[in-house]
Amino acid sequence: MNILESVLAATSDTAPGQPAASESSPETRLEPRTEPRTEPRTQPWTRQGAVYWFDCAGLTVREVAQAMNSLRARFITITAYQLPGTEGTRLEYHWDLAGRLLGFPFQLAANSIESIYDLCEAADWIEREVHEGFAVDFTGREYEPLLLREGDTPGVNLREEVKK
Amino acid sequence: MSYKIPMGPYHPALEEPYKLDMICEGETVKDAKLHIGFNFRGIEHLAETRNYIQVIALMERVCGICSNIHTLTLCQAMEELTGLTPPPRAQYIRVVMAELERLHSHVLWAGIASKLMGFKTMFMTCFSLREKVMDVLQAISGNRVNYSMNRIGGVNRDIEDPLALVGMVEQLEREMVRTIIPIFTTSTTARARCAGIGVLTHDKAISCGVVGPVARASGVAQDLRRAAPYAAYAEMDFEIPVEQAGDVRARLFVRALEIMQSCRILHQALTKMPGGEINTGEGKFAFKTATATSRVEAPRGEVMYSVSWKENSRNPSRVHVRTPTFVNMPAVRWMVQGARLADTPLIQASVDPCYSCTDR
Repeated sequence: MNILESVLAATSDTAPGQPAASESSPETRLEPRTEPRTEPRTQPWTRQGAVYWFDCAGLTVREVAQAMNSLRARFITITAYQLPGTEGTRLEYHWDLAGRLLGFPFQLAANSIESIYDLCEAADWIEREVHEGFAVDFTGREYEPLLLREGDTPGVNLREEVKK
Repeated sequence: MSYKIPMGPYHPALEEPYKLDMICEGETVKDAKLHIGFNFRGIEHLAETRNYIQVIALMERVCGICSNIHTLTLCQAMEELTGLTPPPRAQYIRVVMAELERLHSHVLWAGIASKLMGFKTMFMTCFSLREKVMDVLQAISGNRVNYSMNRIGGVNRDIEDPLALVGMVEQLEREMVRTIIPIFTTSTTARARCAGIGVLTHDKAISCGVVGPVARASGVAQDLRRAAPYAAYAEMDFEIPVEQAGDVRARLFVRALEIMQSCRILHQALTKMPGGEINTGEGKFAFKTATATSRVEAPRGEVMYSVSWKENSRNPSRVHVRTPTFVNMPAVRWMVQGARLADTPLIQASVDPCYSCTDR
């Protein structure tokens, strides 16, 4: 099941694997599956509270952003978490699809991930903020300071600076 | 030949500090660049040093206008982490507070917009009405800015006689129908200053991910009170005003109509308020190790909190706040392109920006 199918299945009232009837635009609706399903059905998402969390293994964030664009989902934000020790940073990307909150977690070992700013201009400020607050490098874009003032250094982990 | 006009960070046309650098040719704005961060207080980092009581008081101070919305969103997230469900009466009281805050915010905005239009009589009218809304908020909570109403598992104060407030709300509604609504929707001054300026097209509204009245004025019919109801909104009957023009006048219309819908919701919430407890009491509760996300439709649009907690900890391990101005304000760049320089203060104000929220 690709990311589009997963999202449509998770956010429709129909069973997983069936096309979503209500929210998707006509061009992104999927045809009903006709061949018998042979592989064991596993859900690539879990629902926790109001959030549908998707398993992003094997996916890049740009693939997710492109899928969300084709569904006309609204980008909400990126939440960054500094993990203990040397585990790096986890980024959680959120989109809204017809009132349903979708979450896509990405764990960064090297504090670097592709920027989605060119695909999703709403991500501009939050990428700049996460860059300033957590020293995450969003590759493929240039930065201007957002919350920092002239003379401050972007790309420094602000949380660590505050602790000092 | 183009030249740069800087507006801000401290400027009479701005209600809060931020900077708008405009590239102009003659009197026409060709492009603009925004600079924020002048109100950055590191509140998200501070939240990690506060316990589950203190963090509510801290987050109430993210914004001086929608202070109640911030605690409501935070408390909803913490309720998910603790498994507590507020009683029905508390959910209704949360709706009353949220709608009074929306009224207060929209009327305040109307006053500021009037001032920027050069319509100072209207400014005075709006601010006198806003005082009456704040009187109702004070009658309920005892406070006029930071209401301290929300807590984990409900609210701190009851509305002892909801029907007594119905009269106050009806009087407010009458005055708004008599003054603000007709003036903003029919007056020549408002039309001349607002129609056709600061246009944000439907497609641009979607690509910028704008929220709240800014989105609804560009034909994007989204409102979390309807799309993902919280508190007692699922039990309320109301409409979502949507305009298509995407200009300053459309934003004015949407807010004016939302004032009427807020009065309608307030009337229902006060007359149908169920009896019973207002919170889950002083019993023990425990946080589980998890992240909870909560969203609320603030006066300016969607507010989202992501709150992480570790079991047996008194403090959150992470609180992330996404405020509506954070996504609405970048769209100002597209609104001012092609506008007359003299219109830019009104255009940026039409977003109803809040930089205390945005910078945190």
